[in-house]
Amino acid sequence: MNQVSTTRIAAVAAGLMVAGGTAQGDSHGITIGYAGGFTGYLAPYDQPSLNGVQLALDQINAAGGIMGMTVELIVKDTRSDTAQASVVAQELVDDGVVAMIVSCDVDPAVASGVMAQVAEIPSASSCASTPTLPAAVGPYMFSNYTADNLQGAVLAEYARGQGYENAYILLSRDTPYTEKLPEYFGEAFEAMGGTVVAVGEYTMGQQDFSAEVTNIGGLDPSPDVIQTSAYEPDFPAFIKQLRAAGIDTPVLGSDGIDSPTTFSLGDVAEGVVFSNAGFASPGSALEAFEMAFEEKYGTPNDTVFTATGYDLMMVIAAAIEAAGSTDGPAIRDAWDNLENVQVATGSITYKDQNRVPVRVVALNQVSGGERVHVGDFSPDPSMIPAP
Amino acid sequence: MEILIQQFVNALSLGGTYALLALGLAMVFSVLGLINFAHGDLMTLTGYAMFFAIGAGLGMPLAVVLGIACATLAAVAMERVAFRPVRDANTATMLLTSLAVSTILHMLFQNLISARPRAIPVPSWMIGAVDVGGLAIGVIQLMSITATALLLIALSIFLRRSTLGIAMRAAALDFPVTRLMGINANAVVATAFGLSGLLAGVAGVLWLAQRGSVDPLMGFLPVLKAFIAVVLGGLGSLAGAVVGGFVLAFIEVFLRAFLPDGWLPFRESITLTLVIVLLLVRPEGLIGQRENVR
Repeated sequence: MNQVSTTRIAAVAAGLMVAGGTAQGDSHGITIGYAGGFTGYLAPYDQPSLNGVQLALDQINAAGGIMGMTVELIVKDTRSDTAQASVVAQELVDDGVVAMIVSCDVDPAVASGVMAQVAEIPSASSCASTPTLPAAVGPYMFSNYTADNLQGAVLAEYARGQGYENAYILLSRDTPYTEKLPEYFGEAFEAMGGTVVAVGEYTMGQQDFSAEVTNIGGLDPSPDVIQTSAYEPDFPAFIKQLRAAGIDTPVLGSDGIDSPTTFSLGDVAEGVVFSNAGFASPGSALEAFEMAFEEKYGTPNDTVFTATGYDLMMVIAAAIEAAGSTDGPAIRDAWDNLENVQVATGSITYKDQNRVPVRVVALNQVSGGERVHVGDFSPDPSMIPAP
Repeated sequence: MEILIQQFVNALSLGGTYALLALGLAMVFSVLGLINFAHGDLMTLTGYAMFFAIGAGLGMPLAVVLGIACATLAAVAMERVAFRPVRDANTATMLLTSLAVSTILHMLFQNLISARPRAIPVPSWMIGAVDVGGLAIGVIQLMSITATALLLIALSIFLRRSTLGIAMRAAALDFPVTRLMGINANAVVATAFGLSGLLAGVAGVLWLAQRGSVDPLMGFLPVLKAFIAVVLGGLGSLAGAVVGGFVLAFIEVFLRAFLPDGWLPFRESITLTLVIVLLLVRPEGLIGQRENVR
């Protein structure tokens, strides 16, 4: 009996010593954790993000690691479940990670982020775009993805530049993204002198938009532009039914429709303009990323979430380098002061941004089933709606 | 007035898809007492079959046929592999089995094909609208209404005229007695699954033509709607499932079209409240039979 207890205590003590050693980032390397939704409803976002993170990790380690130490990634699946996101984050904390990447959606990101916050480990959501997320958790939580209010402002600026006076916005209150981005667009559009003539609402997964389309057709004054952040399957269904009803009003979308489906819709999607995190123009860092991606995975990249995952890993590496330590508070402070970190989609700045990064927003147009670059935009900060 | 008729056509078209799905669910429920939550995944299978068929250069008409055939065969296979071994277990076991089948399919799609949606290019002629007496009726809407009408007619002939069809209706009323009459239980159950797969395949094609892409989880929401339609129409009643599908679609479309702006956020809750009210008035469903208490 006594014998067993002693052995067990020794084993536990040895375990603690190993864990402690990793946490301090000794010669064994640096450990980063990723608590993502790799199965379930977040898989379409967290799986590509993970591919991008792993590509970045390969490149970092091939170049000698961070501060001369190799970087190891511990990946744990949250099954897109908020309660599990919290459990998994605690496991990663116990594994001694020095920084954590969390799910693409706000609710599980908060659940995981709170665990990291308590342990004073900096964390960032792979692609949640709600600008209020970091403040909801605390000083150890960062955003990575292009914020909704930034995209909304860029789209509004473009719409006013085209001379559109009256806008119709279509939103869904099912997620913060599909609700808030159109609202930010409307707010910025009105601040720039336009008018939102009507707001339509849909339910995600709703196959039938005939009621909304019939209403748009009956609006007086009829809108010059329609903005929505609906993505598939809602966006294709909406635009098909809109065009079938003979309404040819220009449509502005956001990064959710940056998907092969949009480009295979044919005539109905012709001329649609949407915002996203970057355009792979020849010679750009994004083009180099796309080539490296295809080399590693054998298939062409078909979503920007891979690139933003890559960006996030690069940001974490830059923060640890800048901190010169694997100590959580030191990394947090360095991260909060990062400026112009060169990443796949351009550059990222965190300094003075309350942990919501400034990054480029690209506008793209669907033309003949291809993507045409409209331009890269960084709107006047005074024109970005407050979160 | 014109808008009213337009919305009526809209509701008819949506109701057709709901009715096809609900009928498939009801068909399996009537013989086994099982609500098959993997029913929606048969639509997803149709989508992937179409995606691969189009990718192989087979063209849209053949892809549609393959898609529907795939859903039908998959439904029969699902019964053989997953549900036959637990047929005599209680309904909770079967319900959990159907959820397990659904989850396993989701994980297989996500990990073997892709977690990202796959595009299904829809021919441009399907995207237009035809002008019928001043009403713009989308080609897909028209196809949906026509396909529903034809399938319902064909099914009712099958159920009334063929031996297997009559056996299925008898099984819906009293399965043990039907078996005592010398009807092969396996044949009845397999036919019910096959027909439900066929209906899911057709509904899947119509659904996919609207959405233009297939993704691993796309079957989840439609099966929920179909479940509501089945309960609304009366569990176990085939006609009830069809009526339930149309009633649900009419409530949804008319609320979305005519609710004042401030009320729009509550349209789903209002829809479900109306469904609950209907069920309070008719607890056995719109066409359901009152159970005899013995």
